[in-house]
Amino acid sequence: MYRKQVRRRRALLALLVLGSFVLLTLTYGQRSDGFQRGVSTIFSPLQTVADRALKPARDLVDWFDQTFEARGENERLQAELERTRTLAVAGQEALQENGQLRKLVELDRGPALASSAYEPVTGRVIARSPTIWHSTVTIDVGSDDGVQVEDPVVSGDGLVGRISSVEGGSAQVMLLTDHASAISAKVVPEGVQGVVKPEVGNPEDLILDFIDSTRKVHRGEIVVTAGWRAQGLASLFPPGLPVGEVTRAPVVEQEASQQVHVRPYADLRDLDLMQVLTGGSRR
Amino acid sequence: MIVTPKILARIVAIAVLGVLLQLSFFSRVTFLHTSPDILPALVVSLALLGGSMTGAVAGFSIGFLVDCLLVEALGASSLVLLGVGYLAGLFRERFEIHSVLVPALLCMGLTLFAELGFAAVQLLLGVDAPLSLLIVRDMLLKSIYAFFLAWPVYLGVRRALRPALVEEPRVRRRSQPTVLGT
Repeated sequence: MYRKQVRRRRALLALLVLGSFVLLTLTYGQRSDGFQRGVSTIFSPLQTVADRALKPARDLVDWFDQTFEARGENERLQAELERTRTLAVAGQEALQENGQLRKLVELDRGPALASSAYEPVTGRVIARSPTIWHSTVTIDVGSDDGVQVEDPVVSGDGLVGRISSVEGGSAQVMLLTDHASAISAKVVPEGVQGVVKPEVGNPEDLILDFIDSTRKVHRGEIVVTAGWRAQGLASLFPPGLPVGEVTRAPVVEQEASQQVHVRPYADLRDLDLMQVLTGGSRR
Repeated sequence: MIVTPKILARIVAIAVLGVLLQLSFFSRVTFLHTSPDILPALVVSLALLGGSMTGAVAGFSIGFLVDCLLVEALGASSLVLLGVGYLAGLFRERFEIHSVLVPALLCMGLTLFAELGFAAVQLLLGVDAPLSLLIVRDMLLKSIYAFFLAWPVYLGVRRALRPALVEEPRVRRRSQPTVLGT
């Protein structure tokens, strides 16, 4: 009896392990299938409700986090934090949301998007991946709102990422910090082109790779999307979207590894509202 | 733990609630640049109360749900969390839990195991970008957070599953024996 029970338990464990490997083999590197989309669609309203309900608690934790970090800063930052704290008590939530929306509107009117056929759709983050290995967030707009896979996503500060999969009422955004992300970009005013890739585990540091080592890039220079178009192919991103600022550009690294370090403009750890640029000229 | 349909429904509700809380709240707050992860602690709690098979099945299911909701490749989270659940359940079956610190320490250790396991799976599958040393800091901080989050998670799960626990009968107040003549 006991042996039979042990055998049954071992069989179940083996089945689960085998099931995991089979699932991994079948789905790794594939687009989302109907089943996943179905589950995601069912849970999407629940996630939206949970997101709204938990926002005050998130803001409270953020407030503690900011306070804790600010203790190590200088006096000027301390004073700034005090002001922020006062704002938080007085309903910072609404002000912050308003500010984000304003910046998004300003980005709409910016030169990067003015000449393109992109139509921005504003979405709110409702879920985020718990691991640093996948930098993805779920937003509450989907194919019903015109969002499609590979659409660029921006926040008020700059480029955030692109849509990796989409359902009726929600979509997954692959952030710039996801290990699979790669964006063609250029440094202005130098015009040096390269590919922006993340450094996994460090959301404040991107790498502009494959740059021309004969042309020097300097600290403080701005990195924007390149938005190339050649032989019927085009970049997913319109040209001129702000990506970040060059923070480290040692000559040795530029010559040996053809790369410099970039800090993204968008705060990729604290995203709430973002815009999906739908219906781009690439279609 | 005796798993009746009613208890199974409670376990499913706990799992769904845990996943929703993780994706909508814990993943979106950062403290010292790191987000807490309660899912290993949740799986450990279920395994400590239900044993290795309950832990393994719960871990697999929770991982599967997370991957479905995030539209990631299925199987990676399931594999890691089923390992966490099985190990925690095995611990419960082999050793007596004497101290209240044990669940918290187990959650801390197995959260680190889960982080390392997930890193191993990702590295085996291939990572297209360079890695930062900050990953190590992230893993260690997640483990420390798990130690503190384990208390409410374990107590909450134990309370929700109390009717199914064989070893934990309801505590009844016994009346003091009376002494005649006093």
